[in-house]
Amino acid sequence: MLKWIDERLGAAHWARKGLKKVFPDHWSFLLGEIALFSFIILLLTGTYLTLFYRPDAAPVIYDGPYQPLHGREMSAAYESVLRLSYEVRAGLVMRQIHHWAALVFVASIVAHMVRVFFTGAFRKPREINWMVGVTLLVLAIGMGFTGYSLPDDLLSGTGLRIAYSAVISIPFVGPYLGFLVFGGEFPTEGIISRLFVLHVMLLPAIIIGLIVAHLAVLWRQKHTQFAGKGRAESNVVGKAFWPQQFFKSFGLMLLTGAALALLGGLVQINAVWSYGPFDASAVSAPSQPDWYVGWLEGAIRLFPAFEPTILGVTIPSMLIPAVVIPGIGFTVMALWPFIEQRVTKDRDAHHILDRPRDRPARSAIGMGGILYVTLLTIAGGNDVLALTFNVPIEAMVWFLRIGLFVIPVIGGFITYRLCTEMQESGAQPARRRRGVRLRRNAEGGFEEVSRD
Amino acid sequence: MTHAGRSWMFAGATALALTLQFSGGSSAQESNPLEVSKTATMTQVDAPVDGQRLFEASCSTCHGVDGQGTENGPSLEGVGEASADFQLRTGRMPLSNSTDQAVRKDPAFGDEHIQALVDYVGTFGDGPPIPEVDLESASLVSGQVLFIENCAACHGATGAGGAVGNEALAPGLSTASEVEIAEAMIVGPGQMPPFDFTEAQRNDLVNFIIYLRDEPRPGGADIGGIGPVPEGFVAWLVGLGSLIVICVFIGSHRKADDDGQDAA
Amino acid sequence: MKSVRWIFASFFVSMVGSLGLVVYYLIGESAQVEGILLGLALGGMGFGVVGWATRLMDVPTVVEEREPLESSDAAMSQMEGMVGQDAVTRRKMLLRLAGGASATLGAALAIPALSLGPRPGQSLEETKWTPGARIVDRLGNPQRPGDIPLNGIKTVFPSGFEGEADSQTVVIKIEPELLDLPEGREDWAPDGCVAFSKICTHAGCPVGLYRAEARQLLCPCHQSTFDVTTGCTPVFGPAARPLPQLPMEVDEVGFLVAMGDFPEPVGPSFWNMETE
Repeated sequence: MLKWIDERLGAAHWARKGLKKVFPDHWSFLLGEIALFSFIILLLTGTYLTLFYRPDAAPVIYDGPYQPLHGREMSAAYESVLRLSYEVRAGLVMRQIHHWAALVFVASIVAHMVRVFFTGAFRKPREINWMVGVTLLVLAIGMGFTGYSLPDDLLSGTGLRIAYSAVISIPFVGPYLGFLVFGGEFPTEGIISRLFVLHVMLLPAIIIGLIVAHLAVLWRQKHTQFAGKGRAESNVVGKAFWPQQFFKSFGLMLLTGAALALLGGLVQINAVWSYGPFDASAVSAPSQPDWYVGWLEGAIRLFPAFEPTILGVTIPSMLIPAVVIPGIGFTVMALWPFIEQRVTKDRDAHHILDRPRDRPARSAIGMGGILYVTLLTIAGGNDVLALTFNVPIEAMVWFLRIGLFVIPVIGGFITYRLCTEMQESGAQPARRRRGVRLRRNAEGGFEEVSRD
Repeated sequence: MTHAGRSWMFAGATALALTLQFSGGSSAQESNPLEVSKTATMTQVDAPVDGQRLFEASCSTCHGVDGQGTENGPSLEGVGEASADFQLRTGRMPLSNSTDQAVRKDPAFGDEHIQALVDYVGTFGDGPPIPEVDLESASLVSGQVLFIENCAACHGATGAGGAVGNEALAPGLSTASEVEIAEAMIVGPGQMPPFDFTEAQRNDLVNFIIYLRDEPRPGGADIGGIGPVPEGFVAWLVGLGSLIVICVFIGSHRKADDDGQDAA
Repeated sequence: MKSVRWIFASFFVSMVGSLGLVVYYLIGESAQVEGILLGLALGGMGFGVVGWATRLMDVPTVVEEREPLESSDAAMSQMEGMVGQDAVTRRKMLLRLAGGASATLGAALAIPALSLGPRPGQSLEETKWTPGARIVDRLGNPQRPGDIPLNGIKTVFPSGFEGEADSQTVVIKIEPELLDLPEGREDWAPDGCVAFSKICTHAGCPVGLYRAEARQLLCPCHQSTFDVTTGCTPVFGPAARPLPQLPMEVDEVGFLVAMGDFPEPVGPSFWNMETE
């Protein structure tokens, strides 16, 4: 078999090289793999869903088993999602796995990026892959949002409406752009099929292309590694891809699937039947996007009622939080490797990872950024939190409006101090402890032996 | 099935708090004012119960001797028996602090006393009587339409309740009785506006709200039934959390000792 | 061997899960059971494979040398020579023309995208409300002031356009003496009934949440709060414009009718909207 292939492709040489590829060992290097495997599960379950979903806004009469909607007029899209959930065997579990996989997909991308950021793995020569990664994050959010909107239920329709409002808030081109994207004034019949094309064809194709590029660049540049015995900028120390690393990754893929299958089976997600079909004049509260859009929702909620008209051009209060802030945020993120190079004047290639404490300024900025996004996300769920913890929404909004400027700075400052102190004390809080080694000393007492 | 029973999967403080909130175990439940329980015991010996005396003892401080209202409480003229019945049976009245939002607690009076008070308040003016609820021929479909159009903006699509600004909360609908739900629509207690539904519409709505409580949940634990916020928590804590634990497990080697290398 | 018995067991668990799934598919339809069985099928195999790799594979740690990524200077200059060879760079004019042609071609290829939607025209400024339009509920029933309870709220539409998204309106009835409407709108509130666009001026959600005691409308999406008594002026949250008020009167047969369209564009703001 192997020989048959080799005679046609001459594969033995490069395949052997590939199988011998060295993978340094650290659990945090697997976060990106979780993202990859979640995406594979999204493709598999998504393909299944596509076979049942109808991207069609045409009205139909529901005659399925969900009693409260029996005989109601609704879009064919919503009807097909109800049918998938209630009548197609294994349809509901597939849909729920798909949705959970989407949430975990974006979460693992974020966790992976946090790891890459704090360890400086984006430095030369890996700036390209960092930018590809930021693009993938944006596309993953886009994937999630288009998918959230497809069922055409009341909640997803509300999300689309806010997106439409964000588009038309752009000065000069907004209304035209909004009408182009949505095919007219919201709500439009055409939007469902457009979102469908984006969600099942364009976006996945681009994401697959970029994932291939991401992995190809990684393969070419070889892995980074933490400092340690025998490890240098000039080498990679670890285990060969075949067999151990392959088995580990394959196992992780199966376990990712297992975790998502259990979630999909046991925990309800987006019970579209409770919201009912989309109706432009109805709304339910709380109305939230999925978590990865929560920061955007939060920014929109917190932004003050400020809507100046300058030289005849009105600046809608949606524009800054929904368009300008995300635009600046993602641009700064994508360009971060170059920003850091400019500040530190460090233009050398690096393959040994930083410990976060050794780069206190970067760690402080990263922590500030995480806190900023977290606070915005909290703001995005402020009505749920107000209900849960019995605090007035207004008080929370004002706390968050001010906290947004204060808490990230304080958090960054604390991080900076912690880093510098840990550098001095040499503490190893993250290191696995396996007991201490004791040695009897000349006086008959015991002393601890360092393990290094 | 109770909300607490359905929420067993949800890890995290939010879930716990939500569960407490939804199952009515909120800390906002205050003990009844002392004088009320005293009055209640005092009048218990009298039979039949004198609504007027009870009213003067328990309600007149805020609502005035003849229910004309004071600066601490609104006039009860024309509120009707529906309103008095709703406020007393859900324990919203009497209120210990007149500036608090009235929330559901155990009723301060027994059945008989409530009836007496309701009858007495009914004499204050021409208000709505206690509605009859008949779910015999009520429609679930019409109930759903009416619920989403009129109720979901505050109480949520699943009737889980919601925050409606300032300190006001629209309560969850899982504990109210059929008559109480119908009364609330007519009366519009607190921040809730009144609705002029027909009797049939009211029955449809009550029917749907009751249905929501025991609705089958084919998807599994409903983690509060309030959409993406708890879902996001579960995705991070349970989903990614368990996978990170697995990653740490995968990264550990008991057999091949590579201690020197993972000393990062 | 004892310590690794679980690795063998894992594969059995996986097989049991998979076979269980096949059987269960034929007989049952609970998503919970399906999820658990699929979880066992995948998880069992996953743990087995991972256990095999981490506990039973005794493979050496290897050191791979990292060759420099950048090519040698010689290779680089050869490459540069190749790209910029005479055949390409000699005809500067042609290079420029090719660039220009690419740009125009791009524009030509992009122009069909304009077919995706109509031009907005006046559609953002106008709704279906016209002078004399009856105010009806979703089912088309015309409304009298008496049909709305005091402190009550009702979603209404222009007659003939029930459910029309841009014309959705709420009618709220308030004690007339509490109303403090802006100048010129004194006649817009027959019997204390006031009508406002239901579309939030912030992000366009239906402003469906009415706090009767506070007489405030609140948008459940972003908590913009509007004081109904003063003409739905924003008092909290991100919305900056009041909800446009519908001029409304009672016709000769006692039904509520519109006196015209909203005086301002409804819904979220845009750059060139006409406001008073």
